Amino acid sequence: MNVKKYILLAGALLCLTLPSIGLAEEQFGIGGSDYMVDRKSPDLLDDNHDTDEPKEYVGIYDPLEPLNRVFFVFNDKLYFWVLKPVKTGYTAVVPWDFRFIIGNFFNNLASPVDFVNTLLQGRFNDAGAVLSRFVINSTIGVFGFGDAAAEAFDIQPRNGDFGETLGVYGIGEGVFLNWPFFGPSNIRDSVGFVADMQLHPYNYLDLDSEEIIAARSLEFINRLSLKGDSYEELKRISIDPYVATRQAYTDYRRSLIKSHKLVDKK
Amino acid sequence: MYTINGFRAIVLVLLIVFSPLEGLADSGPMAQLRPTLAKLTAVLSDPSLKGDEHKVERRAKIMSSIKEGFDFREMSRRILGSTWNSISAQEQDQFTELMTKLLENVYIGKLENYSGQTIGYVGERVKGDRAQVSTLVEDNNMQIPVHYIMAMGQGRWMVYDINIEGVSLVRNYMEQFKSILRTEKFEGLIKVIEDKNKSFAEGKAQG
Repeated sequence: MNVKKYILLAGALLCLTLPSIGLAEEQFGIGGSDYMVDRKSPDLLDDNHDTDEPKEYVGIYDPLEPLNRVFFVFNDKLYFWVLKPVKTGYTAVVPWDFRFIIGNFFNNLASPVDFVNTLLQGRFNDAGAVLSRFVINSTIGVFGFGDAAAEAFDIQPRNGDFGETLGVYGIGEGVFLNWPFFGPSNIRDSVGFVADMQLHPYNYLDLDSEEIIAARSLEFINRLSLKGDSYEELKRISIDPYVATRQAYTDYRRSLIKSHKLVDKK
Repeated sequence: MYTINGFRAIVLVLLIVFSPLEGLADSGPMAQLRPTLAKLTAVLSDPSLKGDEHKVERRAKIMSSIKEGFDFREMSRRILGSTWNSISAQEQDQFTELMTKLLENVYIGKLENYSGQTIGYVGERVKGDRAQVSTLVEDNNMQIPVHYIMAMGQGRWMVYDINIEGVSLVRNYMEQFKSILRTEKFEGLIKVIEDKNKSFAEGKAQG
């Protein structure tokens, strides 16, 4: 056999190994094709919830479960009887573009919180990004209503909160808490939440408490309207929504803190 | 770098031709996941399958393309934890079937909202017989990291867990089932899942 035949044979073999089905993009002209992203990914394989191996997983400490469940039911009623109607009305009156812009404004306003916490966590690149975003969006973005930093300069949002900062410093989450109105948290994140409130510009903008409550309510409803039906979705997919929420909240916070610890070590 | 000279080409060709068949099946977890997901997005965006009148056909196609790369039995085994070993083979089959139905009910509805998002592949990680493929899905200006956790089964990598922003599907259901197993045992759990599936069938699942 000569070289040409080898090449033909190899080509045929290669074709056989390729996926026989075309990509959605080729078939229907819409984005089904995939691509590679240059980014770090966390190692999730060290947490092996296998039946054969001993578990390294640290459980959630929830001694207040009966009380937490009472508040969970309360929040559920609050959502369906109060928040959802308000959200629906708000969504109907305010178009998506406006809600998006209002969301940008509130995010920009909270920049001091993100800045201090990213700094405290030693995420200096992120702190720099927060600062750049604040400067760009407050000027070119017109008081933070636009997100020029992300759109024109490709500086994506970075966030930091004090609960996370405490976690990065090695402070444990403590008892799991499900607050009325505020939802899932724990001792550490609740302390962090109160600390972040002190850092928020509302406190040094010379607003009275009524104005702060009004601003926070608008911020909350606006965020809820952008999030879609995530709470209802969670209820739909779970057998025990309380446990599902507790688990999702805790795992999400743990992975966030773990990823920031990794940034720290770099 | 991109020009391969004649000698190299021959060596390459020889390597391909004479590599043992296992060599092909041995390709990495990411290489094996990509066609599965590409096929899934192709089915999801197929205009001839859209609409309520094609619901049954569409769901069947979605499930068959998912099953090529997802191992629902392994998923069920891990969700049940140590209880898996204490139940009979028949009960294991029953649980796997119910769990597959539950995940189908729960996630296919979500998948059907697919509107052409592309999947960005970040990378893969292999540890022994387990692997992780990390992806990034862009939705509504947000980038959501989605990780597929896989195990080697029947000579290829099969997904048994999905981890979104640190939240593991297997772990979440596992914890939900733990308290039910403690108080109502395996029989009670079966009943709870059956009821949940029934609520989907009747179209009145909460939410």
